[in-house]
Amino acid sequence: MSRVVLFIALRQLWDRKLLNGIAVLGVMLGVIVLIAINGIMQGFQTKFLDNILKISPHVTIFDKQLRPAAPLLARYADDFVTARVSHESPSDRQLRISRPNEIVRALERLPNVAAASALLNGSAVIALGSKQYPVDLRGIEPLTQDRVTPISQYVKVGAYRPLANGEGILLGNGVATRIGAKVDDILTVGSPLGVSKSLKVIGIFDSGIPPVDASRVYVSLHDAQTILGKPDVVGRIEVKLIDTDRAMGMAEQVERMFGYDAESWQETNANFLALFRQQNTIIGFVVGAILMVGGFGILAIQIMIVLQKTRDIAILRSVGFHRRDILVAFLLQGFLISLIGGLLGDGIGHWVLVALGRLKTKQEGLVKSEYFLVYDDPRFYFYGLAFAMAVGLVASFIPAWRGSRVEPVDVLRGQLG
Amino acid sequence: MVLECRGLSRDLGTTVLTRVLSNVSLCVHEREFVSVTGASGSGKSTLLYLLGALDRPTEGSVLVDGHDASAEDDEGRAVLRSEKLGFVFQFHFLLPEFTVLENVMLPMLRRGRRSSESARDHAREVIAAMGLGELEKRRPNQLSGGQQQRVSIARAVANDPRIILADEPTGNLDSKNGEIVMAVFESLVREQGITVVMVTHERDFAALASRQLVMHDGEIVEDRDQRA
Repeated sequence: MSRVVLFIALRQLWDRKLLNGIAVLGVMLGVIVLIAINGIMQGFQTKFLDNILKISPHVTIFDKQLRPAAPLLARYADDFVTARVSHESPSDRQLRISRPNEIVRALERLPNVAAASALLNGSAVIALGSKQYPVDLRGIEPLTQDRVTPISQYVKVGAYRPLANGEGILLGNGVATRIGAKVDDILTVGSPLGVSKSLKVIGIFDSGIPPVDASRVYVSLHDAQTILGKPDVVGRIEVKLIDTDRAMGMAEQVERMFGYDAESWQETNANFLALFRQQNTIIGFVVGAILMVGGFGILAIQIMIVLQKTRDIAILRSVGFHRRDILVAFLLQGFLISLIGGLLGDGIGHWVLVALGRLKTKQEGLVKSEYFLVYDDPRFYFYGLAFAMAVGLVASFIPAWRGSRVEPVDVLRGQLG
Repeated sequence: MVLECRGLSRDLGTTVLTRVLSNVSLCVHEREFVSVTGASGSGKSTLLYLLGALDRPTEGSVLVDGHDASAEDDEGRAVLRSEKLGFVFQFHFLLPEFTVLENVMLPMLRRGRRSSESARDHAREVIAAMGLGELEKRRPNQLSGGQQQRVSIARAVANDPRIILADEPTGNLDSKNGEIVMAVFESLVREQGITVVMVTHERDFAALASRQLVMHDGEIVEDRDQRA
């Protein structure tokens, strides 16, 4: 490309500041929207995943769920059975992991495993005075569990330590609010199959995930076994990984090693991850459509310019400029429009993200935050610019091609221009 | 022989073809000042575009300084126009976004034979020679019609062409400016040895040329060489 073509492109661009400025604005808006929407979506999603990855285990091992047993008679006769035993007693096999301590020790020796801890969970009801509230009761070994899911970090009132001595109960702040409990209150905790116990509230935690905080309470493993009526039972083992992205593979490996079911955090949160993927797809479409509109802006404006400029194209061609020069001159204009629009969009988009991040909002839903959640990723700016340039080049190709096909004689004969 | 055509024919039209030029042969020698006259529709502009490698003939061939323009592709003809030919049209045809100086420089910059400094100096000389020295910073729309036409001649001349092809160069000018343009052409032929082929319908101006062609219905019906 010769410098004179660049010179012509720049001059023509500058000479139609208003029109080309509008095209630049179109591209710029597209890029701003791309950055802002991605920043907001990713802000929410990464915050959610961060919280999930802290408060939830990366791999959970539990006993295989039993399918409902086949009817009694069907077990002995393969053929079609018409008779039925009424009031068959259900299976009394308990869900449990046998020899949990050995499994925990074996797990901790695996590469990529940071920590593992055994626990028992189940449904229970807590009562304070006349108020009752159903909770997700987790009986933990406080010291090892804290290495898997650092609950102690989230304790806002009271303390975590007493749990290690087998005392008390730790409430999620949603649970505490709903039942009206404060630290040092004595609660009654019970379940259908176990024994009710009175426990003192030793602390209240706030994990930042409202659904968790509104349902979960922690007690010592021994207390949980008593309350749930499952002495010596460990229901699951939770594992924290070093590389969380490899959780799926680890879950499979653990299943093969110990013969129990294992679930990675991706499987546990499959609903959310699927939702996020869908959100991201929709946003991709929206942002793509907005950038396309910007591209159509370039297309419309450049086609207009090319039509107005057929005479000038004929002049350039008659004084020795090649078709390719004309093509390049218009492509360059489209390229520069999208480059300027993209860079401006990047700049303003960054400013918008910063401004949004300072916005105070009270968010309570899947995640809790006092500020607008925004994620500022350098990749957004790269994508914004790259998309803008691609759209700009594609959009200006049609006008540029048209311009390069102008036959100078047609213009000179007066058939055009 | 600087410009030659043999058996040149050109059909125009999309559905119904009209033979605008039929079997024209012509030899133009160096330092000739050729005028082409004829009624409108006689094919004189068509002949000029073919000689200028702007158009391709239906039949026949065009030799520009020995190069067969009709055999060249689009690129080749663009190179030929850049290196051998200069054009002056009826309407000044300057680029509105560029100053007078830049308009004159552009063909030189495209040809790339001169550095941009040398192109600038040369353009200034040519513009000054046209008596437009003080206007080089202006845009074309700030000039009078006569001035614009002289700028376009300067643009054609500056790139050192062998031949200048002019299509009704005085058609849009008053007689005083027309005379100035004709004087410029005459001096180009006489002093710089450039060959000029000019299409015009003004007999007075045509008579100033050293060789006068008259066209009728796509053929040359009269060829008068005053030097002979």
